[in-house]
Parts: sequence; C-alpha cells; structure tokens
Amino acid sequence: MTTADPALTRPRLIATGGLTAVRRNPLLVVLVVMVPVFQLTTGSFLDPANLSGIATDAATLAIVAVPLALLVISGYLDLSVGSTLALGGLVAGWLAGQHHQSPAIALLGALAAGAVVGAVNGFLCCHLGLSAFIVTLGMLTAVRGLAQQLFPLPLSGFGSGFAWIGGARVAGLAAPVVIAALVLVAGALFLALTPAGRHVFAIGVNREAAHLSGIHIRRTPFALFVATGVAAALAGAIKASVLDSAVAGTSGAGFELTVLTAVLLGGVALTGGTGSILGVLLGVLFLGGLQNGLTLLNVPTFWQQMAQGVALVAGAALAYAAPRTGR
Amino acid sequence: MTPPPYPASRRHFLTLSAATALAAAGCSAPPDTAASAGPAPSGGTRLTKIGLDYPFTQLPLYSTLVKLSAARAKRHGIPLLTTSDNASADTQASNLTTWIARKVPAIVSFPMVFEAAEPLAKAALDAGLIWVTYGGSLQHQSADIRFSFREGGTLLGEAAAQWAQEHLGGKGKIAFLTDNTIELGRERTKGMIDAFTEAAPGVDVVAREQAIDPDTGLSKTRAILAKHPDLNLVLGVTDAAAYGGFKALQQTGRAKDDAKTFVGGQDGSAPSLLAVKQGTFYRASAALAPKDIAAAIVDVPRAVAAGEADPSAEVPITLVRHADTARIDALLAQNA
Repeated sequence: MTTADPALTRPRLIATGGLTAVRRNPLLVVLVVMVPVFQLTTGSFLDPANLSGIATDAATLAIVAVPLALLVISGYLDLSVGSTLALGGLVAGWLAGQHHQSPAIALLGALAAGAVVGAVNGFLCCHLGLSAFIVTLGMLTAVRGLAQQLFPLPLSGFGSGFAWIGGARVAGLAAPVVIAALVLVAGALFLALTPAGRHVFAIGVNREAAHLSGIHIRRTPFALFVATGVAAALAGAIKASVLDSAVAGTSGAGFELTVLTAVLLGGVALTGGTGSILGVLLGVLFLGGLQNGLTLLNVPTFWQQMAQGVALVAGAALAYAAPRTGR
Repeated sequence: MTPPPYPASRRHFLTLSAATALAAAGCSAPPDTAASAGPAPSGGTRLTKIGLDYPFTQLPLYSTLVKLSAARAKRHGIPLLTTSDNASADTQASNLTTWIARKVPAIVSFPMVFEAAEPLAKAALDAGLIWVTYGGSLQHQSADIRFSFREGGTLLGEAAAQWAQEHLGGKGKIAFLTDNTIELGRERTKGMIDAFTEAAPGVDVVAREQAIDPDTGLSKTRAILAKHPDLNLVLGVTDAAAYGGFKALQQTGRAKDDAKTFVGGQDGSAPSLLAVKQGTFYRASAALAPKDIAAAIVDVPRAVAAGEADPSAEVPITLVRHADTARIDALLAQNA
C-alpha cells in the first residue's frame, strides 16, 4: 500500500524550514514579540551589555535545564537541584577559599558532590523503583540540611583563581555562557545522534515497551540523574565564583521550580516522551528576558510577579497547543 | 521566587542589667510560672529550660544565635531548646503548640505572623509559662526583645546621603534593593529610602527592585546598570542583596575602590563586613551584634523569672564603616 494519508503528509508539507520550528516551539513567536516590545519600551534591552547580562544570568539555568529536560523526557524528575546547587557551590568555595585548592580541584570536588546526590536519586528511583517526585523532594530537604550542617556560616573570599570560573571571558563571551552553550550542544547532539538519546524518548513514552525492546530502562535514567546532579553542582560552583560567596540556607533556594518552569515552557512534557533542547533553550531565554525586561521597565514588584505569572501561563498554553514533538 | 526573610534589624540595647535583680514589682510574668524549679538565689524563680523559636533556620544568623545562646544559657545551667520551623508559619504554630503542651518553662519566639502568635502567647501565659516576643511586641507576653527595623535603614540611608553630598556634590544615581514582602523588610526599606531621599534630594532614584539575596541582587543590578551605566549608589535592604549589587558593579569594570561608587547594606553579614574592612566601595553596613541578641535571648526570660521590673530589651544596631576596624573584627569573630 503506497497511498499516502493526507492527514500525515500535510503537516510535513507545511512544516518546512523555519515554520517547523515555529510550530513546534511557539515560544519562538513569544520571544519575537517580546524582544522588540522590550527594546521599544526600555531603549536598552538589546544593548550588548544587557544581552550579555541576560545570557550570563540564564547560563546556570541552561546548564541544569538540559540534563533535567532529558530526565523529564525519560519520565523522571529531579526536584533536588536547588539544594544540590547550594552544596556544589559550598564545596567548591570551601575547597578554594578555606583549603586554598586550585580551581580545578575545587570544581572537581563540587562535581563529585553533585554526582553523589544524583547517584542516590538515581539508585532510589531507577533501581528501587521509588517515586522520583517523593525521592527528590526528600533529597531537596535532606541535601539542604546537610549543606547547612556542614557549612552553617556564609563562605566568601574564594580567591582570584576561583573567580576565573565565573568571570573569565572566552572569545568575548562570559565563561558560564560558553559552558552553557557547550551543554546545550552536547544535549542536542545526544538526543539527535546517539542510540542512548533515542532510548530516552522510548523510555519516556513507554517503559515496559522499551524494556521489551531490549533497552536498559535503568541505566540511562540513572546516568541522567547523575548528570543532573553534576550539572546542578557545576551551576552552584559558577554562582559561587561569580558572587565570591555562598550561603547554605539561601543559595539556590527555589531554583528547582525556576528550572522546571523553563523545561516545561520549552515544551517538555512532564509525562515524558516529548521535548527538545531547542525548546529548553527558548524556555530559558524567555524566563531570562522577561525578568530582565520587567526590571528595565522598573515595574513595581508585585506587578512584576503578576506579569511573570501571566506570561508563564500564556507560554504554557502556547506550548500545550503546539504539536507534540518527539525529538 | 519565594525569597527567604532575613534577620531583624536591631536598635539600642537599653536594659539588661544583672538578671537576678531583687525587684519583683511590676513583673509581667504570671505569678504561677511553671518555669520554676526552685527559687533563684536573688529571689523570683529559676528557669529549668529556655525554648528558642527562631523560624528562619535557613539564615546564617540562626546557627550563630543558637550557638551563642546555648553557650550563654549553659553558663547559667539552663538547657536551650530550639524549634525547626523552616520559615513556615504553620510549622511554627505547630511547634509552639507542642512546647506549650509540654510546658517548656520559657519560650522566646520570633513570630512569623504576629497576629497568629497572639493566641499562642495567651495560651502560654495561661499555662503559667514565660513568653518573650522576639522582634516586636504582642498584647499577651511576659516581655519582649525589640529591634527598630526602620532605624537600621535610616542609619544606612543617612550615611549614603552624606557620602553623596560630599563626593558627588549631591548629584548622581541610586538604586534601592528593597523588600516589600514582610513587615521588617518594609520597615527597613522605608527607613532607608526616606532617610536618603530627604537628605540627598538631588540624587536621581533610578530603581527600586525587590531583592534580598545575592543572586537576585546581582541580576537586578546588572539590568539596572544596562540602562544606567553611570549608577553611583546601591543600597540594600539586606547585606546579601547589596553584595550581589557590589559584584554586579565590579563585573561591569568598576574598580573595587572606585571613588564615585557607594554600596551599603543591612545585617552585618560576614562577606559584606570583609568588603567594608578591605576599603572597597562597599562602604557601610547597618550591623547587628549576634552576641547582643544571644544575650537578650537568655537574659530576658531569666529576668522575667527573677521578677525584674523591666525585663524587656532593645537590641542595638550600629553603622559599620571602613574606619571601624575593631568593631568589624569583633562582629566577624562573633560570626566565626
């Protein structure tokens, strides 16, 4: 049977070139409208210095959003990233500031801490089959408590070497932006070109069917949990470097919801199985741009909160209305 | 974002004389206080326990206060109990109810919602317990530990205005990092803005942005700097937020000791105090002394139990600047 079903071919015909991206990522339209509106009303939104600020602010969000998106696509969730971020920043700052370790050692220490948190999450969720929501919610509290117990007082004065992580410029771009770009590219390539990337979708769509197809339904999500923990700790180290300080009780507080918002706005379904890294990038840029634009407009605090809430709901509605994308 | 609140602003530490004063007249503690385990040497009653209910466990100040208060209480042979409210008003109410039911003899509580704490305080008094309100006053209480939230903001605003007059000729641009979500934040914000704008009316207020943590302070100040690269002053409702502003200014190329820049905050947190000490453009912090607060936490309930006439206390706040090296060192030591 070679007759094509018109219902299947028509979207393919329409979805050529940029139109495909627009249809699959309605946030692109929102950004295209939002940016000129902010530029016209503020006069400085598109200034290079401001764009650089938005990119730097959004970098840590993107670094965590990419592996988290992969985890959500595979049908899991990690709500502990805010506390892991704090722990990573504190470990890095502690090693660099109080033990005068090199930035590389400090960074490795942070990444190791994040990997341990991710491994615990992964073991409990993937191997013992516990609810990711409950486990990572518990870890959110437990890791925060651990960080506060280990580092009850603020850490600061990490030295000029450690400041390089957050303050260096590579090809004119802030180091965190370069790191975020690398993470985004790696995430996109992983999803598009590797068998494990395809397994992520398969596991998210139907775990049982994926298992019957010979896919390791535990190994890949476990690795993604570890990657998410590592990414959160990396983001924490970057933040600690930029601020030259870290506070156990407040660093990364609420970050888990911000990053999850960016992921969901980017079209990743909480039920798993769908999503794209481009969508995640758009979600991150949307959140960063909106926050920045409202600040530039000097919008009063509570109006900012209302505007952000409305924008988020509108963005989510658009994402919902868009066709589901498998990849 | 659900920003965490921050420690109360504090003012003059008026009266904490020896806690075992003989005078019993006018004591606000109920006569049948269950706190007693026997008469104190100087009269009144001796406390067997003090419960410290400080809800903002995420703050660095919490650890410091618990450590210093426990040490001071121990010197008097009194164990210190603590709650773990996690900045939740519901959890706080639940924990306080438990303490009242268990008849913890003296409760020092920083109510997250003062109106909600009133019936709990009444229940404590009705049960014969000592209730000390931290950070304000309730209708039902044995005594209180007060701070003038507005005073810290006023001290900072006045100092910044004076600096602007002296170094900028009364001109320039200022951004305020504020908090309008809780009462003490509103008080600090009002004190800071009112004092500054009154004393330096020629300085252009270019932004008033909600920020109490360094991350938000950093990103908000970055955005403000994109529109106003010639920004001169950043005043924060907390040191944490101001420190974020400090870093944002540095990241735009501002020299650490730029003569035309002023950053100031409130609380006396360690990173900010170090920046002030180093002679950077982080020039002032309206600082609290954790030792004074810890002393009040232990001594006020003891004074109530001992039957002192005026057991309440008002904790001081002082403006710390680069020249106040000894004061900075003392505050840093208390935070160590």
